[in-house]
Amino acid sequence: MFEFIGKNIKRIDAKDKVEGKAIYPQDIYIEGMLYGFTVRSKFPHAFIKVDVSEAEKVDGVVKVFTYKDVPGKNHHGVVLKDHEVFISKKVKRIGDPIAFVVAKSKEIAEYAASLVKVEYDILPAVFDPEEAMRENSPKVHDKDNVFYHFKIRKGDVEKAFKECDVIVENVYKVPMVDHAFLQPEAGVSYIDEDGKIVVIASTQYPHFDQEEIAQALGVSKDLVKVLTPAVGGAFGGREDITLQIHLAIAAFTLKRPVKAVYSREESFIAHSKRHAMKMYYKTGATKDGKLLALEAKIIGDSGAYASWSMNVLRKAAVHATGPYVVENVKIDSFAVYTNNPFTGAMRGFGATQVPIAYEQQMDILARKLGLSPIEIRLKNCFKEGSETATGQILEKVALEKCIEELKRF
Amino acid sequence: MYRRIKKVLGGDILKKRGKGIGVTFYGTGYGNGFPDVSRAYARLLEDGKVEILVGATEVGQGAKTVMVQIASETLNIPIEDVILVNEDTSKAPDAGTAAASRQTYNSGNAVKIACENLKDNILQEAKKILNVNSKIGLVCEKGSVYVKTYPSKKVSFKEIANINNNLKGEGVFIAHTTQMDENGQGAPYWPYTFAACAVEVEVDTETGEVTILRAKLVLDVGKAVNPTLVEGQIDGGFAMGVGYALMEDVGLKDGKMLNSSFEKYIIPTSLDIPNIEKVLIEYPEDTAPYGAKGIGEPVLLPVAPAILNAIYDAIGVRFYEIPVTCEKILLQLNKG
Repeated sequence: MFEFIGKNIKRIDAKDKVEGKAIYPQDIYIEGMLYGFTVRSKFPHAFIKVDVSEAEKVDGVVKVFTYKDVPGKNHHGVVLKDHEVFISKKVKRIGDPIAFVVAKSKEIAEYAASLVKVEYDILPAVFDPEEAMRENSPKVHDKDNVFYHFKIRKGDVEKAFKECDVIVENVYKVPMVDHAFLQPEAGVSYIDEDGKIVVIASTQYPHFDQEEIAQALGVSKDLVKVLTPAVGGAFGGREDITLQIHLAIAAFTLKRPVKAVYSREESFIAHSKRHAMKMYYKTGATKDGKLLALEAKIIGDSGAYASWSMNVLRKAAVHATGPYVVENVKIDSFAVYTNNPFTGAMRGFGATQVPIAYEQQMDILARKLGLSPIEIRLKNCFKEGSETATGQILEKVALEKCIEELKRF
Repeated sequence: MYRRIKKVLGGDILKKRGKGIGVTFYGTGYGNGFPDVSRAYARLLEDGKVEILVGATEVGQGAKTVMVQIASETLNIPIEDVILVNEDTSKAPDAGTAAASRQTYNSGNAVKIACENLKDNILQEAKKILNVNSKIGLVCEKGSVYVKTYPSKKVSFKEIANINNNLKGEGVFIAHTTQMDENGQGAPYWPYTFAACAVEVEVDTETGEVTILRAKLVLDVGKAVNPTLVEGQIDGGFAMGVGYALMEDVGLKDGKMLNSSFEKYIIPTSLDIPNIEKVLIEYPEDTAPYGAKGIGEPVLLPVAPAILNAIYDAIGVRFYEIPVTCEKILLQLNKG
């Protein structure tokens, strides 16, 4: 018997949040602090030239930062370092950060941002991942747009489909969606009494932000301190860097506290999206309802940057059969660059998209076979000792019990 | 809840009802052999309370509460005697990201190990103070150590801390996964969490509106550290699933999001969410702290497919593309 596990202990952060006492980065005010506003690309694919001279003349503007002002590496990214802190030559999506205007007030920063001149030399762009997979398509990163292809091969699908009594083939599409967390991105950066660069921001992984900030500043990790006050939801949308590095560079260079707060619209533009996917599914079963073969091709729109795409498309493929035993499996998943908003982590991480396909396939098969949705699932679901499409042997499987519970609905 | 009165026109029922289910699984963690490491430190403070340092971010999911409960259980001390430090990279060690439903499992294990190590050191110290011949037979309870068969021989954590102010414990947990080969064969994630959902919907064939009348969500949790928090995750995950199935799309046109504010990007409100019957299946996972698996993502996965299957059951139309908006439903129904 447990004393504390399994007990409904009141959330230890609840009282502060309910009473409005919890501190979010938006709430932080430091005497003499400056405000930053980001200039972003208006076109999805273009070479740019930036002129900040007019903006810097505005009374109250302290400095306009561009790629030239990045002290360390002008890049970041959770897996591939394919994001630039500020775009140096080519924008790859609408919303790419180009400059960060730092001024005495938010209003001045925002006004001066409108005076930053960006000259765009528009390039042909690609928005459809399947089009982007073609050889002659515009290249987002000056290389093949397909940057990840993951395969699962188990058994012999061709032979198995011949033995199937029923085969169901469909194409499913899911769109890009937003995390829509309650609290848009906000942060403050300053140098503390020990000379450390402090970044206060809503993030999911402070220790990783610390590394990325240190790299961009060209300083050792120990000189950077990340504080995470209350975070108003994340769902994967705070995995990638948004304003953390911009703030750190500004505070590090100007030796003054700098704050930035995104509007809801800027939040949508700044962070990743859930991957849009196109899923080609072919599922076959015998007449008694046993799944025999599954073939799937999953194309994930990574947008302009990789973020977690490799891991997301891998997770999508591993979960593509659903929680069912299928002895013959052929799955191909692809992550493809386009000039769309970039996609990354979002609750479920690839395992959210595939059930839209595999669970509808199960119902369509059940109907054709005269089985109930529960019957076909019980017949095929993972049990103690079952083997997954990747050959993994499962133990502690409570799935049958979960499905049985649905009988009482 | 606001619900319109069922209209009957010329004998045709304009609202049709249907039921559907969705069943899913989710592999926890970074996966595929990637080093998935959580670190935690536990330290006995002067006042007899225990400080837990772990860099697990509270993003609203309940990480703070779960870590404290695991520490309380392991050391058998009251909740208020655990001081959690998780918000400063210069103090709390790296516990990985608050994602992949991994904090309860991974960092929970790290906290548990750190507390077990601290407990061991506390008992060692208590053995000396109480002048007994072995740690065996000593019990930790409510911030004191005593001899189980002779409870009056007792010393408090505070007294122990005053004699030795350097009692600590470190916990490191690395989730095991095996990288897949070129044929995608391997053991990419662990543990897997299962979920099943049933919904009943009502489709208004005049407006295309889908109302979810009732729902049930069954979740394999291993062990619920805090059932109320799990139920909260189910409510939130269900709402996100409703948005995914019926409403949400950033609306891309030539790389531009047409729906980039809440004026156009519609998400569910509490009025769109029915009362959800929640069933937690407890089948403790051996490698998990007190058997508890990650549930933050698993709660979402079966919801949207259950809704899609229920819509088919109601109106006989299969939607291969989401979100299934009112417009899409009307378009399909008017095709005849």
